[in-house]
Order: sequence, then C-alpha cells, then structure tokens
Amino acid sequence: MVNPPILAARNVTKAFTTGKDRELVAVDDLSFEIREGELVCLLGASGCGKSTILNMFAGFTQPTAGEVLLRGRPIVAVEPRCGMIFQSYALFPWKTVRGNVEFGLRMKGLSRAERRERAAAFIQMVSLRGFEDHYPAELSGGMQQRVTIARLLAADPEVLLMDEPFAALDAMTRQVMQEELLKIHEQSRKTIVFITHSIDEALILSSRLFVMSARPGRIKAVIENDLPTPRHITVQVSPQYGELKSRVWNLIESEVRRHVTETARNQ
Amino acid sequence: MSQIASNESTVLSAEGTSDLLARPGRRRSRKPALLLISVLSVMLVLALWYFATERGWVSPVFLPKPGRVVAEAIANFASGQLLKDIWMSTQRVLLGFALAGVVAIPLGIVMAVWAPAKAAMDPFVSLLRPLPSITWIPLTMLWLGIGEGQKVAIVFMGSWIYILLYTIESTKRIDPLLIRAARNLGASDLHVMLHVILPGALPGIIAGLKVTLAISWSCVLSAEMIAAQNGLGALIWQGKDWGNLALVLVGMLCISVVVLLADKLADMLERLLLPWERHQRS
Repeated sequence: MVNPPILAARNVTKAFTTGKDRELVAVDDLSFEIREGELVCLLGASGCGKSTILNMFAGFTQPTAGEVLLRGRPIVAVEPRCGMIFQSYALFPWKTVRGNVEFGLRMKGLSRAERRERAAAFIQMVSLRGFEDHYPAELSGGMQQRVTIARLLAADPEVLLMDEPFAALDAMTRQVMQEELLKIHEQSRKTIVFITHSIDEALILSSRLFVMSARPGRIKAVIENDLPTPRHITVQVSPQYGELKSRVWNLIESEVRRHVTETARNQ
Repeated sequence: MSQIASNESTVLSAEGTSDLLARPGRRRSRKPALLLISVLSVMLVLALWYFATERGWVSPVFLPKPGRVVAEAIANFASGQLLKDIWMSTQRVLLGFALAGVVAIPLGIVMAVWAPAKAAMDPFVSLLRPLPSITWIPLTMLWLGIGEGQKVAIVFMGSWIYILLYTIESTKRIDPLLIRAARNLGASDLHVMLHVILPGALPGIIAGLKVTLAISWSCVLSAEMIAAQNGLGALIWQGKDWGNLALVLVGMLCISVVVLLADKLADMLERLLLPWERHQRS
C-alpha cells in the first residue's frame, strides 16, 4: 500500500542575498517526495533550512531553482491547501477562540450557523470547550497552540505544515500536545510535515524521518520509523527506541558540531 | 502670537508622552493615600491663591481673587453665554477633527501598505508637518473668510497630519506573520484588509486620535482668539481686552475641563471598541 506523493521537491535550491554580494544558500539541490497521509518529521540542527522548505510548500517564498509540487502541480503562490502552524501561534489577538477557529470557514463564505457548528466540533476536538469566548491573550501557550491547530483543521487543508509548533511550550505540555497531534493524525489521516530539532519528538511523531545536514540544507538520511503504532509516550523506554535514537544521533552529531563551530567562528 | 504657538506645542508634547506611556485599556487604580496627597496638594495651591490675593501680596491686576473667578463663572453660566461658547468651540473641533480622521485614516493605511502612495505623499507630509496650525490663518482667511469654515479648516490643518502619522505607524507595526497566517487560511486582499490590517491598526489609530483631539482643541482656540465672535478662545480674548482677568481664567478652566471630559469619553469608547486590549499582557 504505497500512496501517491502529495508533496514533492525537485532539485530545489533556495538562496538569500544577505548584505551586498553575499549569498546564503539555505537549501541546496533538494529532492524528496511525501506520500499522502504520512507524518514526516524534518529533523536538523538550527539553520539547516527546515523552515525555508515549509515556507516554499506554503507558497510564502519561491525556490531560486527547481520546483516544489502539490499533487504534481508547482506551488507558485500562497497555497491554502498547505496549511501552516507557526511556532509563535499567529492567532488574531482581536478575535476570540471561536472567531479564530471560524476564520478559514468565513473565508470560504460559509453561513454563520454552519461556521458555528463546524468550529464547535474542532474546538471540542482540541479540548477547548468553554473557552470559545476567550481572547488568545487569556490563554496559556499550550492552549493557544491548540487553537491554531483547530483553526487550521477547520479550514480543512490537505497538508499540515508544522514549524516547530511545540518548541515554545514547557516539556510536559509538549508531551501532551504530541499525543494529541498523533490522535488528530490518526483521526484525520491528513499529511503532516513537522519540523523539529528534538530527536525524541521526531521519533515519537513520525512515520518517516528526514535527517537534514547543516547549511546548506540537504537530506542526509531518510529513516522509516517502524516503532509500533498507535504510539504512546511510553515507547521511549523500549530497547527498539534506544537503538533508533542512537542511530539518528550518530547521523546528526557531526552536523551539530559543524554548526556549533561555524557559529563560533562567525562571532 | 508667539505665546499661542508655544502653548500649542506644550499641549502637544505633554499629551503625547502621557498617552504613549499609558497602555490603552488598562485602568489606572490609585492608592487612597496617593489620592489624598493629590487632593491636599490642590487645596494647598487654592489656599495659597486665596491668601496671596486676600492679603494683597499679589495685586488683583495680575491675579484676581478666587471669589471673583467663581462669581464670573456663575454669571456667565447663568446668562447662557458660557455654554454657548463651549458648544461653539466643541462644534468646530468635532467637525475639523472628524474631517481630518475621514481623510487621514484611509490615506495613512494606503500609504502604509502601498509604497508608491507613500513616496508620492512623503514630501508634502515633511513640508506640512512643521507648520503650526496658526500659520494657516492668513491663507484660510483669504480663502474662506472668517466664518465657521475657516475655523474648521484651521482645526483640520492642525490635526490631520498627526492622525496620518499615527495611522501609518500603527499599520506598519502589524505582525507580518498574521497577514501570512490569514492568506494561508484562504483570505483575499479584501479579507486581509478587513480582518487583519484594520483591527490590527485600530489600537494605535485610537491612541493617535486621543492625542490629536487635544491638539485640535488648541487649534480652535488659537483660531478663535484671532478672529471670532464666539467660542472659548474669543471669550478669553474678550476678557483680556476688557481687562477682566477673572473671565480669562474662567475660559481657561473651561478648556481644561472640556478637554479632560473629552479624554474620559475617548477612554470609554476605546474600551468599548477594543475589548481584546484589556487582556494584553504587558
């Protein structure tokens, strides 16, 4: 059972000009495919171009060379079918939880009653019932990120792009959110591309795992994550988990060291 | 003339800083002890005024007795003259201020989101900004006579640039990530404008309007002092011409009270219009 690719990158290079005549190659000649329904984690040290890749899939920026494809078609403008979850939530502060969750539905021109009903279902899904009339500033970080997930799911994109969504949360909230995300993935079967620099997070969430090299970003290894599903946090104590983790660490260690020394030299 | 100009600029700077430092929507709660100090300090100054004039330390030519000021206020209030003057000035301020908002808010938003518009307007903004509103008095008198239109024009000329600058600034400060998020959720340009840019800029625009309202008041007063039959500015000028210092003080007191009341009203409106600001953590 191999699903057709929903997202693809073909020989994608992205360079930014920094200052005069200086170019920074964030991503270099990258090619990969993501199948429908997968939860792929992109794992890499800071500055390996992970966010750049997501921004190209969302259509916020275009590649310098090569192309990114959604169902075989190049993405050339902001693509609402690839919905983004931002690390800093990006909730509308002037809208209540309900107003935020209804936003995508409103853009689609749904009636007020329909919006209410569908928003209520997603608010229930992320366990925020009773908080419909609260403003984002009244909620904790974990709750705010749950609102963004409900807001995005209500808009019903085909792909969820998640840019280190739980990085700003405390460790315990993060674990709860990871389990909730797995549940949501189980229920919705949506394709998810998830960026993280935590090996544990990548191992718990992913069905496949792309290990990225430090700048310029390339894929160093693709690892099929065969940890049993449905997955629970307790998988972390299994010997299989330990083996996989040390394998990933061996791949990534040299990259992290390279990044650390490079940053030190540049300062 | 020069006195009026410097008066206007102090109003501007004092109001500007106090409003920028105070976070919109946050209630100021004062401790009772501090409130007592405020009350005592006012009473002390009043007592000082009373004794200084009663004992003849200060000649009534320079400072009338408090009783005279109260009597003058009551007489003018009873004759209806005071209320009429307040109403005339308020009317001119509101018209000029509203006109300035209607022109400057949309223009500011366009200038903030569309660089060519900003480039086209910037030279004029730079040239007009340093001009105090009273410098427009000769031209506006020539163009509009000395009727209501001229007073409104002075208020407009003195106010619109500040509203414009506040609007540009607060529109530019909107988090671009929110615009991205909205587009990502399928928002069109119009939706981004209505759901992100307008509400995002609103707190800053309202803060700017509050500062500008005080400026509008100083504009109308200078216009009325130079050429008007009525209004608080004319009242003060009459007091000066007749050597009636008590009347001058009554006029000045009225201005303070009216502007303070307008500010309170604006605070209430602000809380009503920006319910989410109450929850913003500092």
